[in-house]
Amino acid sequence: MTLPTSVSPKEESKSGAMSSRSKRRRIRSASRADAIAPYAYIAPFFIIFGIFGLFPTIFTFYVALFDWNPIGGQTFIGFDNFTQLYGDPRFWNALRNTFSMWILSTVPQLTFALFLAQLLNNIRLKFANFFRMSMLIPYITSVVATTIVFASLFGREYGLINFFLGIFGVGNIDFTANTLASHILVATMVMWRWFGYNTLIYLAALQAIPKDVYEAAAIDGAGGFKQFFFVTIPSLRPVIIFTVIVSTIGGLQIFTEPLLLSSPGLTGGAGRQFQTLTLFLYEQGFGNFEFGYGSAIGVVLFLLIVVFSIINFFLSRRIASDD
Amino acid sequence: MRSRSILKAVIAGGAAMALLAGCSSGGSTENGGDSPSSGKQVTLNVWTFGGMGLDELFTKYQSENPNITLKLTNAGGSDEQAQALTTALAGGKGPDVAAIEVGYMSQFKAQPQNFVDLRTLGSDDIQDTFLDWRWEQGVAADGAVVGIPTDVGGLAMAYRTDLFEVAGLPTDREEVSALWPTWEDFITVGNQYTEATGKGMVDNATNSVYNAVVRQGDQMYYGDGPDDLVYDTNPQVREAFDLALGSLELSSNTGSFSEEWNAGMNNGDFAVLAAPAWMMTYISQQAPDTNGKWDIAAVPGGVGNWGGSQLTIPANSEHPQEAFDFMSWLMAPEQQLEVFQAHGNFPSTPELYETPDIQEFSSEFFNSAPVGPIFAKSTEGIKPIYEGPQQRIIDTAIQNVIGQVENGEESAEGAWERAMADVETAIQ
Repeated sequence: MTLPTSVSPKEESKSGAMSSRSKRRRIRSASRADAIAPYAYIAPFFIIFGIFGLFPTIFTFYVALFDWNPIGGQTFIGFDNFTQLYGDPRFWNALRNTFSMWILSTVPQLTFALFLAQLLNNIRLKFANFFRMSMLIPYITSVVATTIVFASLFGREYGLINFFLGIFGVGNIDFTANTLASHILVATMVMWRWFGYNTLIYLAALQAIPKDVYEAAAIDGAGGFKQFFFVTIPSLRPVIIFTVIVSTIGGLQIFTEPLLLSSPGLTGGAGRQFQTLTLFLYEQGFGNFEFGYGSAIGVVLFLLIVVFSIINFFLSRRIASDD
Repeated sequence: MRSRSILKAVIAGGAAMALLAGCSSGGSTENGGDSPSSGKQVTLNVWTFGGMGLDELFTKYQSENPNITLKLTNAGGSDEQAQALTTALAGGKGPDVAAIEVGYMSQFKAQPQNFVDLRTLGSDDIQDTFLDWRWEQGVAADGAVVGIPTDVGGLAMAYRTDLFEVAGLPTDREEVSALWPTWEDFITVGNQYTEATGKGMVDNATNSVYNAVVRQGDQMYYGDGPDDLVYDTNPQVREAFDLALGSLELSSNTGSFSEEWNAGMNNGDFAVLAAPAWMMTYISQQAPDTNGKWDIAAVPGGVGNWGGSQLTIPANSEHPQEAFDFMSWLMAPEQQLEVFQAHGNFPSTPELYETPDIQEFSSEFFNSAPVGPIFAKSTEGIKPIYEGPQQRIIDTAIQNVIGQVENGEESAEGAWERAMADVETAIQ
């Protein structure tokens, strides 16, 4: 930070020797305050994050090395939890389920959100604001209410979906008993919840694209489709990267919907059909009183999310990056 | 400058007021044991779950004991209750009174240091009023009394008289009880029903068959102690498993307490379900239009028990004596009788069983069935079964395998081996 160097001769002579020293002291303490100020402004967040975010994460790594009964004793067992996890078929099952539900809920959702945002960006659309606001209603609806209604819709005997399928001659599908069907059920709930959020993010980014890029493309002879793929998507690249990473982090941690569907048990169906890693973690930690094992699952989940976020980041960067 | 200093003053004043408000609300009668002037005003945090039928008693206790205030929290289900209690205990806190379902008791009482040993508060005086095997469910391995019993489930078979008539089966409860003295007879009757109507007779094979049979012996998954696992060698378990698989033909495959099950009760998708005493209230609330179409018959094998809970006092409670006085009042025979008459939860105090209040009690909803004597009889001769710490985990693993076969997701071939492998993985 530079101080104004133009001081009129009259003021300089008036200040004198004493006040120039105190002026320097004032300047030094003022600049020290200026140097500390930014850190002071962001400190509250980092203090809270340190207590409620960072410390529990590190503590989880610590607990994973123990056989830890939440209401009993703890014994140090080193990496035994991880070795046991490696050989546990329930872990691999939960891993498969998690990936399946993540992909089923993310890929269609983001594609749909992009197309929907493109539609809503049309200036000739009437009641645009109404559509934009109502898209957020699923996002603010209680997850419990959503799950109850969807579970009812997808019910085996009396669900509406099975009713419509029956019209086409398809027999009753048990959406919680069949593995793939249960993943579709959970993915539907997740998509319904998040599509509004992602659409609005894409919409905001779409509206930031300058019109002249499209005009240039039109002059070059590009039609609607070509414009979308060669102008819109490259311009949206940073936003797409953002939504992909956020969806990765969220999708690998899907928990509430499987938990509520699984009630009263914690196994995600009799055959663990829709048990995600987070639900498995919760079952072990709070159901079976194995905090150590649950923490080990948490550690593995953490590493998975980091790895896949990085992978998705590099994949998304490959979107036409010629600008 | 002036507006900025006014703003600072307002913010400072607001913060100071917020701080004062926070301090004053913290010092309320929550910790009222040390305010002698108000006559030891005590607030007890009471955590219950589901339909224990105790709401009227809570009001009554507070009006009879004006210095006690009850703060009630109903967790909804026994699983949510157990999870909430685990979190509270792990954090060193907890309510003054916590109800724990018997399925979870074995896990909690394996760590008795989390609860007050009720013998120090006078539990020896009330021990004799309860069924001995019901009392044992609240006693830890070292003899500490972790919880006192609430109601007892007992077991009977609730059946739909109208649907039985359509299927050409007898409808009188004595005759129906005589149809199935053993479980094999039960399966035979079920097959008859399915042939006649094309629908399943029983709601599911896990709760109505497996769960009932496996508790009819004198051992379940454990032998003598927490290290003596017998789930793989106990013939009772194998028998229950095989009977459950044999009942798949007559099951309508509706999981207990699921949407289909509730709807099925109303629509007649099944005609029979295992009914402990507390199920009666559940049926009458879920299917009020079927009033008078149900009746109660004996369960094959004669005896049985499903459910029940214990009332415990977590160790960090600040008012253990008041909590114990409240609990022992709540579960005294007179109060349990009141709950039974209003809600159907059967008392665990045998001194009531021969009294006219029980012997002459009948339920209108269930075709005036004499539910008092029926459930009293079903609790006779139940042998105390030792339930070890991983009881619920083993039970869940085995029942899930049966559930998978029932759903048609896996075959019955090799189901027992799969169940044993699953149990081994789960209890590692």
